[in-house]
Amino acid sequence: MAHLPYPRPTGDFRVTYESDMVLFRTLFAHRWALALAAVALVLPLVANDALLSQMIMIGIFAIAALGLNVLVGYTGQISLGHAAFFGFGAFSSAWLHTQTSIPVLLTIPLAGLMTTAVGMVFGIPAARLKGLYLAIATLASQFILEDFFARADWFTGGPYGALADSPMLFGFALDSDSRYFYLVLFWLVLSYFAVANLVRTRDGRAFIAVRDHYLSAEIMGINLTKYRVLSFGISSFFAGIGGALYGHYLGFVTGEAFNILLSIQFLAMIIIGGLGSITGPILGTVFVLLLPQAMEFLASGLALLVPGIGQGVAYIKEMSIGAAIMLFLIFEPDGLIHRWRLMRTSWKLFPFSH
Amino acid sequence: MNFELLFQLLVNGLIVGMLYGIVAMCFVLIYKSTQVVNFAQGEFVVLGAWVCWASVMYMGLPFIPAFLFSLAFMTLFGIMVQMVVLRPLIGEPVISVIMATIGLSIFLQALMNWVFGNNAERFPNVFGEGTVSVAGLNVETAYLVSLVLSVIVMAVFFWFFKKSRWGLAMRATAFNQQIAQSLGISVRQVFALAWAISALVSGIAGVVLGLVNAVSNSLAFIGIKVFPAVIVGGLDSIVGGVVGGIIIGVLENLAEFVDGQYLQIGNLFKVAPFYVLIVILMIRPYGLFGTKDIERV
Amino acid sequence: MTKLRRFLLAGAACLIAAPALAEDKILVGHLVDYTGPTSFVGKHYGPGVSDAIKYINANGGIGGTLIELDSVDYAYKVPEAIRLYKGWKSDGMVMMHGWGTADTEALISFVAKDEVPVISASYSAHLTDPTGKAPTTQKPAPYNFFYGPSYSDACRALVQWAAEDAKAKGIAEPVFVHTGDNHPYPNAPKEACAEYATEVGLKVAPPVVVPLSPGDFKAQCLTIKETGANYVYMGNLGGSVVSLLKSCATVGVDATYMGNPWAGDHLSIEAAEAEGVIFPSATPFYGQDVPGMALVKEIVAQGDGIGEERPTHHYIRGICSAFFMKEAMEWAKDNGGITGENIKKGMYAKQDWVPQGMEGVCLPSTWTPDDHRGQMTVAINKGSYTDGEVVIERIAETTLPRRDDWLGR
Repeated sequence: MAHLPYPRPTGDFRVTYESDMVLFRTLFAHRWALALAAVALVLPLVANDALLSQMIMIGIFAIAALGLNVLVGYTGQISLGHAAFFGFGAFSSAWLHTQTSIPVLLTIPLAGLMTTAVGMVFGIPAARLKGLYLAIATLASQFILEDFFARADWFTGGPYGALADSPMLFGFALDSDSRYFYLVLFWLVLSYFAVANLVRTRDGRAFIAVRDHYLSAEIMGINLTKYRVLSFGISSFFAGIGGALYGHYLGFVTGEAFNILLSIQFLAMIIIGGLGSITGPILGTVFVLLLPQAMEFLASGLALLVPGIGQGVAYIKEMSIGAAIMLFLIFEPDGLIHRWRLMRTSWKLFPFSH
Repeated sequence: MNFELLFQLLVNGLIVGMLYGIVAMCFVLIYKSTQVVNFAQGEFVVLGAWVCWASVMYMGLPFIPAFLFSLAFMTLFGIMVQMVVLRPLIGEPVISVIMATIGLSIFLQALMNWVFGNNAERFPNVFGEGTVSVAGLNVETAYLVSLVLSVIVMAVFFWFFKKSRWGLAMRATAFNQQIAQSLGISVRQVFALAWAISALVSGIAGVVLGLVNAVSNSLAFIGIKVFPAVIVGGLDSIVGGVVGGIIIGVLENLAEFVDGQYLQIGNLFKVAPFYVLIVILMIRPYGLFGTKDIERV
Repeated sequence: MTKLRRFLLAGAACLIAAPALAEDKILVGHLVDYTGPTSFVGKHYGPGVSDAIKYINANGGIGGTLIELDSVDYAYKVPEAIRLYKGWKSDGMVMMHGWGTADTEALISFVAKDEVPVISASYSAHLTDPTGKAPTTQKPAPYNFFYGPSYSDACRALVQWAAEDAKAKGIAEPVFVHTGDNHPYPNAPKEACAEYATEVGLKVAPPVVVPLSPGDFKAQCLTIKETGANYVYMGNLGGSVVSLLKSCATVGVDATYMGNPWAGDHLSIEAAEAEGVIFPSATPFYGQDVPGMALVKEIVAQGDGIGEERPTHHYIRGICSAFFMKEAMEWAKDNGGITGENIKKGMYAKQDWVPQGMEGVCLPSTWTPDDHRGQMTVAINKGSYTDGEVVIERIAETTLPRRDDWLGR
C-alpha cells in the first residue's frame, strides 16, 4: 500500500514552502481546471437527462469514494462497512428534514456530521485492530447497521423506507436533474479540495505515517488510536454527505440499498482508481459505474451472434465487477491513475519515452 | 421458560453449527497456510453442491459417483483459483488479497446464478425418507451422515498434519515460509494443496447442505457465518474453527429462542453473532483463541 | 480534475442513446424481476404482461396506437426501480406495470405527482386508498391499481376459511401465526389480517420472522411449533416457502399452511412435495374450461415468454393486468387521448367489468375514485403433491364485505 509519491520531473525544484504547497503544480493544470469547471457549469444546459443522471450518480458515489480513500488509501485501514455509513447519511438527512423541517441544503452537512459521529463510534473498536481483524469488525458493523435500518421505524421508516424531499434554494425546488447536478457538483468540488488539502496538513501526514508503518508512527509520537478514529470519522463524513445527496436525489431511502455489495463497490472504486491518490477514486467511480453499462452494451451486441447471452446480461454485468476487481489487483494494482500517469509521461517524453 | 424448546433449539444449533465448523475449518486451513482470507468460501460451498446436483440431474450419474466427481472437480478448482488469482498476489498487502477473494466471490455468485439458475433445486431423495429423532428433535438424515463424515474428515486432518509428509510441510510453511523454503519445501505446491483441500472439504459441506435445504445460491450465506466463527475460534486454529462454528450455531438458536419467546423483534438470530464478534474483538483484538503476533522493528 | 472531466465526457458520449418515440407509439415501463429474490414468480408474471401486450400490438394495438413496452429486470432493488422510473418518466412514459411491494410503495408519491398510473403486481392494501380518507393511510395512492384481491383481503378470506375449517375439524382454540421476512411485502397484511383473525375467533400468536431467501428454517419451525399454531400464513414466496414447508415437516409442525397469492402455485408445491397447501387465486388455472381460455392459449402460443413450461396462475394474472390496462387506454383514447390522467379515468369508467375476450379468466373488477379495491372475491385453493403430480382443487370462494374500515389496510 505504501505508494511512493509520484516523482517530479527534473528541474521542478521547490525552493519555497509556498511552492511546495501549491495546489496546481503547473499553469497548464490550473488552466485545465478552470476550463473543466466552465464545461461542468454549462453541461446541464446541453446534456440530456440520461447523461445528467449518470453524472449525478458518479458525483455522489465519488464523494463517498473520496472519503473511503482517506481511510483506506491514506490511513491504511480497511472498511467493509462504507455502504452502511453512506446509508446512515441518507436516512439522517431525510429524518432531520421531516422531523425538524430544517432545509435540506442544511440537513446534508448535518447528516454528514451525524454520520461522522456514528463512524467514530464504530471506529473505536477498529482502532485497536488491524488487517484482517479490522476487515471482519467493519463487516460486522455493516450487518449491524443494516439490521438497524430494517428495525428502527422511528428513524428509517423500517423496512418501508423513508421519503426524502428535494432541496429548495430560494424558493426553487432542486428537483430536476439539471438543477440537482449543480448541488452535487458543488459538494464534489468541495470534497475534492477538502481531501486534497487534508493530506497536506499535519493530520494528513499523520495518516500517511500510520499507513506506512504504524509502529514507527507511534514511536514518532503519533497517537494511533486518535488518528485511526479520526480517519474513520472523516471517511464517514464524506459517506454521509454522499448518502444524503443520494437520498434526496432519489427522493426515497430504503435500507436494502446499502448492503455489503455496495460496500464492496466502494472499495472497488478506490482500488481500481488507485489507492492513496485524490483523483484516482473519481476515475474508479466512473469506471465502476460505467462498466456494467458497457458490458450490457457489449453483451447485447454479442447476443446477436451468440444466442443465449441475451438472458445472461444481468449476470454478465455483475460478473464484470468481480472480474474487474481481480484483474486490476493482478495486473494494475496501482489503479487507473497510475496507468494515466504512465500514458501522460510517455506522451510528454515522446519520442524519447523508453 | 420453555426448557423443551430451548433444548431442541440447542440440539439444532449443535448440528447446524457443526457444518459451520467444517466450513470454518476450511477457511482457517487456507488462512493458516497461505495467509489469505477467503471471502469466497461460501461460493466454494455452493459450487460443490451445484456440481454434484448437475451431475446427478444432467449427466445422469448415481449419487455416489456424482459426489466423488464433484469432489474431484472442487479439488482442481481450488488449485486453479490459487494459481490464477492468488499466486500473483503473494506479498501484496492484506487489502489486495481480501479484495481479490471478494471479487472472486462476486464473480462466482453471478456465474452460478447464470449457469444454474436462481431457483432452489432439490436432489432426488438419496437417504430415503430421511428424518431421525435426536434427543427429541427431528433432524434430516443427511445432517447425521454429514456429522459422521465431518468427524472422519477431522480425523483425516489430524493424521495428515501430524504424520504425513505433506502435512508436516504445510505446518512448516505456516510457521515460517522462508525457513520452510530453505528446507526444500515447495511453498507453491503447499499453497496449491491448501486450496485444494479447502475447496474439497467445502464441497462436501455444500453437498450436505444441498441435500438438506435444496441447492440454491443463498447457501453462500455460510461464507459470512464463518467470520464470527473464526473470530471466536481463532484464525489460526483448525480445532478452534470447528469449536467456533458450533458456538455460533448454538448462539444463533439461542438468539432465536430469546427473540421468539421474549423479545419478538424478529431476525435477531441473523445479527446476534456479529454483536458477539464486535464484543470479542473489543476485549481481545486477536480473537478468543488467536495468537497475538509480536512485531519487532 | 482534468482527467476526471475528460473521462466523464468520453464515457458520456457513448451513452446518449435516448430512443425517440414515434408519434403512434406510447411508452409503458415494465419492472420485472427475472434474476432477483422474487424471480421464482417474477419469471411467470412478467412474461404474462409482455406476451399479452405483444398480442395486443399484433392485433391493432390501442385503436392503432402501438404500445412500446420497456421491460427491465431490476432484480427487486428499490433504488434501481426509482432510477428506472425517472428515466422512463423523462422519456414520456404514460403508465407503468410495476412489480414488488417495496418499490411500488416507494413510488406512490412519485406517480401521484407525475400522474402516471401504475398497475402493480404488489397487492398491498396500502395501495387501495386513493384519497387518503382512511385514518391509517400514510400516503394516498390515487394512481396505483392492481388486479386481484389485496394481500390483506386474501389473508382475511383465508382466516375466515380457517375459522370454519377449525370448527369443522373440532379444534377448540385454533391458533394463527404469520410468517415472513421483515420486508414490506410479507409485512403488508400482517396487522390487518391478525386483527381479522381475532375477530373471527382465532387466537393470534406472535409473528415469526422467516427470511425471504431459502435456507434451513428448523429453528423458526421449532418456534412455530411452540406457539401451537394450527394455521400458518406464509408471507414469502418461492424457495423460501419451499424451505419452510420442508423444515417444518422435518421438525413435525402439525398445521395447515396458507400462502399469499404468490406463495402457492404448482411449482412450489411440487418442489416442497407438500400436502394440503392453501392459497388464494384471482384467475382460473391454465387449461380450465372457461370461455377466455382460448385467448390465453393463443397469447401463450404467440408469446415468447416462458416456452414449454405450464403457465402458472401468476402468468394469467399478468395477462389480466395487461388487458385491464388495454381497455382503460382505449377509453382514454376515445375521451381525449392516452394520457396518465385519462387512463386513470378509464379504470373508473365501468363497473364490474371484464376485458373483452377474457370472460371467465379475469374476474369482474370495479375501481372507483375513492376505493381502489378492485375485487373482494377470493378463490381459495388446496394443492397437494401426490404420486409425482400436483393436484389443485378449488375448495371455497369467499366474497368479503367491502368494509370501510378495511380500506387502505
